[in-house]
Amino acid sequence: MAKIYPIGGGKGGVGKSFITASLGALIAKWGKKVVIIDLDLGASNLHTLLGMQSPNIGLNSFLDKTVQDLESAAVSTSIPNLFLISSSHCYMEIANLFYAHKVKIIEAIKKLPFDYVFLDLGPGTNFNMLDFFLTSEEGILICTPEPTSIENSFRFIKTIYYRKLKQMIKKHIFNSLQKDFSEDAVKPGTTPSDIIEIALKHDPEKEGHLRSQLSKFKFKFIFNQFRNNLDATLGNQFETICNRHFYSFFEFLGYVSFDGRIQDAIFSKTLYVHRYPHTQSAADLKNIAAKIT
Amino acid sequence: MDMKKFDELNYYEILKIPMNSSYFKIKQAYKDALSLYDQDSVPTYSLFTREERDEILKRINDAHSTLIDDNKRAAYDRMLVDSGQVEAPISFRTKQYQSSMRSSGSTMADKDRLQSKMKEKFSMESIQNLSKELFSKELLSGNDLKKFRKALGIDIMEIYSITKISISVLNAIEENRFDRLPPDIYLKNFLKSYAKILQLDPQKVVDGYFKTICLSHPADG
Repeated sequence: MAKIYPIGGGKGGVGKSFITASLGALIAKWGKKVVIIDLDLGASNLHTLLGMQSPNIGLNSFLDKTVQDLESAAVSTSIPNLFLISSSHCYMEIANLFYAHKVKIIEAIKKLPFDYVFLDLGPGTNFNMLDFFLTSEEGILICTPEPTSIENSFRFIKTIYYRKLKQMIKKHIFNSLQKDFSEDAVKPGTTPSDIIEIALKHDPEKEGHLRSQLSKFKFKFIFNQFRNNLDATLGNQFETICNRHFYSFFEFLGYVSFDGRIQDAIFSKTLYVHRYPHTQSAADLKNIAAKIT
Repeated sequence: MDMKKFDELNYYEILKIPMNSSYFKIKQAYKDALSLYDQDSVPTYSLFTREERDEILKRINDAHSTLIDDNKRAAYDRMLVDSGQVEAPISFRTKQYQSSMRSSGSTMADKDRLQSKMKEKFSMESIQNLSKELFSKELLSGNDLKKFRKALGIDIMEIYSITKISISVLNAIEENRFDRLPPDIYLKNFLKSYAKILQLDPQKVVDGYFKTICLSHPADG
């Protein structure tokens, strides 16, 4: 079974694709078979970060059945052991993925015969992104040390919780809950989170079950673009706060130092960890890669 | 639902320190906790509402003021151990063991002896009447507890030997010396243990006693 790491975070431009490509490349170099999947649907560019042209086969080939299974949609990269499933040739409206397609992709991801699978997710908190993140219980959040990014991370965690609760309620206890709702005059305009609140108030036993499900999550997080002048305890503080105030387990994987050469590498379409393997940022990425393997 | 309750943490967990921390360490941890939950703190400013933050800061202040006071801290530690929230530290356990060895047998034996003594008493009509008289009211004072305890023929030392609540606290409870009582959270647990020995409904005793305390401070509402 592959270890699946969805890589997400509420904000765009925090470096999700960069970190996905770097971790994938480092771990592949250590001899593990790795595939990275570009699920930033409609805005995919993981191939560019890897210095490749847009591949001819990818997620689209899997969805239109040109290839037999998702594994065959993976193309090799310039790095041995590292494979890419691109979504750059998907139909123009791929961002609004059909539900059936989404389910098909998620089920196929779980069966991929690799050592590690990284999912590069888009920004925001739309349902597709959340459901891809929920493919695994060990998602990685990328944020930058700015207050806005941290705020979005909290929002992201809460949204993931509500999505998960909604999934569970649908699956197991929806029937009995419907009865509860009809007795409870649910006003129009009730949000999904209100519904969950009502559900939990009606049945404290379920609350325990739902909480124990949330406690299975092992969120990992990385602070990217970290500069020397910042408070070096931020990562640990964030870890403490999350472990205290949310139901899941949180692990701070480390900082990735800011380095202007990262942008240079992206411009020249070369992989930063290969071009500048001896920089602080490359060392940071190696440490993080070692922690998750 | 998505957030854990902060009041589920004990004072040591709030300050993120082990139970044997020094005065200096408590002070340092207090400063750290204040800065972590400060309204300008980068990792928390967006997580809490103003009310939630105030509530958290209040708990941090309570934790600090309790743990830097040796007496309050000892009482708090005992409450944590007695209510099963933490395991007794070794030194604490040995002390308990030794003190119960010095008295006439173990706590369990004390309890058994007391229970058989009380079984006889409870069948007496005078006790039943007194119980009705004292505990049918909404309010309950320390005097009521003391009266009932004496009527049952239980010595305050016997309460101490079973509950390990210090004699001074037991006296303060019975004599309504509210200024000498420990903070509410462990007073509640003490009252419950006391009530159990007298075979009273622990929750009723707590409610009645706290109402009496409230009435003695009309200014606090």
